[in-house]
Amino acid sequence: MTVVALPAAVPAPPLSRRVWNAMRLHAANPWPTLITPWLVFAGVFGLNLAIWYIVTIAAGGSQNLDADAFDYNGGVTWVLVFLLVMAVQAMSLTFRFALGLGMTRRDYYLGTVAYLGLLAAMYAAGIAVLAQVERLTDGWGLGGRFFAPWFLADLPAWQLWYLNAAVGLLMAMIGVAAAAVWVRWRATGLYAFFFLAALLLIGTAWLMGVTESWAPLGRYLSTHEPALIVTWTLPVSALCAGVGYLLLRRATPRA
Amino acid sequence: MTAIVEVSDLTKRFGSLAAVDDVSFVVREHAITGLLGRNGAGKTTLMQLITGQEFVTAGAIRLFGQPPLENAAVLSRTCFIKESQTYPDGFKGEHVLRVASWVFPHWDEGLARDLVAEFRVPLDRRMKKMSRGQASAIGVVVGIASRAELTIFDEPYAGLDAVARQAFYDRLLADYAEHPRTIIMSTHLIDEVADLLEHVLVIDEGRLIIDAAAEDLRGSATTVSGRQADVEHFARGRDVLQRDAVGAFASVTVSGLTPAERAAAAAAGLEVGPVSLQQLVIGRTRGSARQEVAS
Repeated sequence: MTVVALPAAVPAPPLSRRVWNAMRLHAANPWPTLITPWLVFAGVFGLNLAIWYIVTIAAGGSQNLDADAFDYNGGVTWVLVFLLVMAVQAMSLTFRFALGLGMTRRDYYLGTVAYLGLLAAMYAAGIAVLAQVERLTDGWGLGGRFFAPWFLADLPAWQLWYLNAAVGLLMAMIGVAAAAVWVRWRATGLYAFFFLAALLLIGTAWLMGVTESWAPLGRYLSTHEPALIVTWTLPVSALCAGVGYLLLRRATPRA
Repeated sequence: MTAIVEVSDLTKRFGSLAAVDDVSFVVREHAITGLLGRNGAGKTTLMQLITGQEFVTAGAIRLFGQPPLENAAVLSRTCFIKESQTYPDGFKGEHVLRVASWVFPHWDEGLARDLVAEFRVPLDRRMKKMSRGQASAIGVVVGIASRAELTIFDEPYAGLDAVARQAFYDRLLADYAEHPRTIIMSTHLIDEVADLLEHVLVIDEGRLIIDAAAEDLRGSATTVSGRQADVEHFARGRDVLQRDAVGAFASVTVSGLTPAERAAAAAAGLEVGPVSLQQLVIGRTRGSARQEVAS
């Protein structure tokens, strides 16, 4: 064979640029992650407003309603669930495409996790801002609580943001881990994943019952700041993100 | 010679199946190399290994002198266009081009727009709604406009009509002449690309059976035809790639004739003719008669 010369080594584009490219990849089509969720949000909120209005009229005015009539609402939680769905979707759909464009698994994963983290932070910020408007307008003029229902209504804005951002991040990272299982092992992997997850949950519940830990947990939850409690999700999120990377590192894009 | 891709003793197994079986070769800088073979021969697996998408079972790959797996330095200089590429849900043609323009350092937007017009790609249509040919055209546009130092096309023309395929070859060659780069083209439309190729790799059942300059290959086999008895007599003891007979008339494709042997055949009243690259590959990869060709 002919003597082979090595081509000149060219340094890779900087890590920041590569990760940025992976982040932008998810926003190249802004609809599924940046636009549609706000539209759904507006729709759900609009429906709630309408219901409050109808109930108020039917009751013959807000003076005839209990003071806490519209205090409980789960309308915001769908965003948290949606973050999980977005994470699963984003990853299962873009992994093959990203590798097809010559991205490394590591850069792609870093960018994806960063993007989902930003989404969680952004949606939490939106909720926190709207919750302030809700407070200033005394529940949109109807005493309704949508963006900060229940005990959340009394929290300072930053705590509300932190709560939603941390829980949103947790949901997104669970989604990332599940999506990594899917990318690596497809349906078989997901069955195993959910089986293990169920086992873990039931096992934990059983263990807590045996060790009589439910009451202390209840005490802990009711006597500590929500912000402190929710901080416990951060290591879990980090664990999920780490597991996701370990799985994806050896995954092959398949048709 | 500078080696852009260097593959040594490469094997990839899926269970007991060796999709790539102890393969070694070098892809030269600034040349168009054809990777030919039948469906399922291992071409796509080989290219996925080269681009770090698949994991090697044994052996080594060097891309620009470095292992490709998870190596951004060399993967960012590489563009791999494959027929089976899928796109994220809801992605339109314009989204694909946008991402490509971010990712490829030498991306030429003007060229991309030009190619889009030539191939009549509807950029505002979702990739899912595109015809096979339109989706292929997007891949072709990305591959050419990426100006990646190593560009790999894996059967990029599915659904493209003859006119569009010719346009693809012409535009690729024109851009290649102005901006020399290394191109690997995997295809089974061999006759169509025969004139483009400077080097030919043929893979069959995971093994590399031909690794030769296209020029050498064109002269490496000869068709000898005439009366059956004469042809059989001439073919005896030779490496016969293909044999055809119609009545008393027969023809054989044999490899490695010297000028003297050609002259002898002609003198014996046999007709001696060249063999196309396609015929050669068919002869080499059909049936069990597998011949190793030294390069």
